[in-house]
Amino acid sequence: MRTLGLDDVTFWYPATANPALENITLDVGPGDIVALVGRGGAGASTLLLVAAGLAPRVTGGRLAGTVSRGARAGIVLPTPWTQLSGMAFTVWDEVAFGPANLGWPGHAISRHVDHALERLEIAPLASRDPASLSGGELQRVIIAGILAMDPDLVLLDEPTAELDPEGARAVWRLVRSLAGEGKAVLLATSDVDALPDVADRIVWLEQGSVRAMGEPSLLAEDALCEAGLGTTVAGLWRAAALPAPYPLTVVDAVQRWR
Amino acid sequence: MALSRALAFDGVGFSYGNVAALSDVSFEVAAGERVALLGRNGAGKSTIVRLVTGLVHPDPGSVWIGDWDTADLAPEDLARRVGSVFQHADQQLFARTLREDVGFGPRALGFPAREVRRRTDEALDALDLHAHAEQHPYDLSPALRKVGALAGALALEPSLLILDEPTAGLDRAWRARVADALREHAERGAALLVVTHDLTFAAETLERGIVLDRGRLACDEPLERLLTSAERLKPLGLVPPPIAALSVALDLPGRPVRERDAAHTLARVAGGRSAS
Repeated sequence: MRTLGLDDVTFWYPATANPALENITLDVGPGDIVALVGRGGAGASTLLLVAAGLAPRVTGGRLAGTVSRGARAGIVLPTPWTQLSGMAFTVWDEVAFGPANLGWPGHAISRHVDHALERLEIAPLASRDPASLSGGELQRVIIAGILAMDPDLVLLDEPTAELDPEGARAVWRLVRSLAGEGKAVLLATSDVDALPDVADRIVWLEQGSVRAMGEPSLLAEDALCEAGLGTTVAGLWRAAALPAPYPLTVVDAVQRWR
Repeated sequence: MALSRALAFDGVGFSYGNVAALSDVSFEVAAGERVALLGRNGAGKSTIVRLVTGLVHPDPGSVWIGDWDTADLAPEDLARRVGSVFQHADQQLFARTLREDVGFGPRALGFPAREVRRRTDEALDALDLHAHAEQHPYDLSPALRKVGALAGALALEPSLLILDEPTAGLDRAWRARVADALREHAERGAALLVVTHDLTFAAETLERGIVLDRGRLACDEPLERLLTSAERLKPLGLVPPPIAALSVALDLPGRPVRERDAAHTLARVAGGRSAS
């Protein structure tokens, strides 16, 4: 069973000759956490837009191949401040905006909003004006607003870019817990050091194509380290000319050292 | 006043309505100094960016840019000395091409066309952005837009550069490029004040850490010492970056926090172990 399926997908932005994505085939099932890594411009954000159905519907452009979604998708963009409704005077109302637009009854909206605020550890912000929040607080509000709509396919583009280390850890824990509930998660992040403890599968994108796919141990392989996409610890081991396989994390490195 | 002072906060407080953002914050940054401004979300870091750029004014206290008291100065006055990149850099980009955008600052300051061109080319060079120079800024990825905004700030050739999360969403190669450009700028005498959660980037690029905690100055010391102390970082909402954590866990001599230093030390210690 798959929640998201991309079969031989190629996508062109408007008025461009070269595709932003080329021949992508990818399945994400319930409980999966799949992480996209790549250099800037490799196509990770575009792939998430395609997965969400925003490309080409909103972006324009042309798509070849098949995208199938077995469930409602929610996406957190890399520019979360652009996802504010602009119509809410409190954080609670902002998070309720999506569920309200789904036409849910009031009690269901309340339940989902309160639960989402708790999960993002931002219940104390509920009565604050969204305009008064810091960037990191706002990023958590936007994630809460997406989760409050209870999507079965969760798409996250740089979900921790604005967050402090505690906030980032809380979001990664939340991602694992969403997968534990059977949600399918597809994410893109430049925080590759977090991925060994978060992702089930890594997809390495290069110039719009899948260069490699595999378990998180991929992040300690020579080719990824060479491309600057390995974990910091793997990159350090390699820079010190210590023998492969390189450790993925600090914990792995300490074990190896002993 | 010492001639080398690029920035000074003197007893600064600031509130958004009834919500206090900063209380009694005092510190100085010297010319050429590279300083990280750290702390939890909501600690007051972005308020410091707004104060330094003149978007808001301290109440109470004073903010000095060199020998200018910012109290009566507007952002356009301060732009002669301060270059900035905001957390949401999209709001800083508005021209039809990245080249026009980068040249906007020097043009607005009234420099002649030849000087505008020189500054624009040098800033694009410093960040290796020439390949994107003729693109519309909004055709770049959000992370690259931030690098574009940084090029615009560099083109002002400011004596103080203040940056809010300049590496958010950037891959490692771009982070290294930003780090090189910032170090070069500091070597020419500019002071850097960089708000960041990316402690790996801070370790590689910056030398001193100022930490805010709930609007107050909690810590001000060399980054190398701060980043290897998990016990001190924890109550401030910070965790050691991987290389600092590994240095401590492996008890590497000198506790290096930068990749090059740590790789050198690791190789030397590993060589010694295999020889013995």
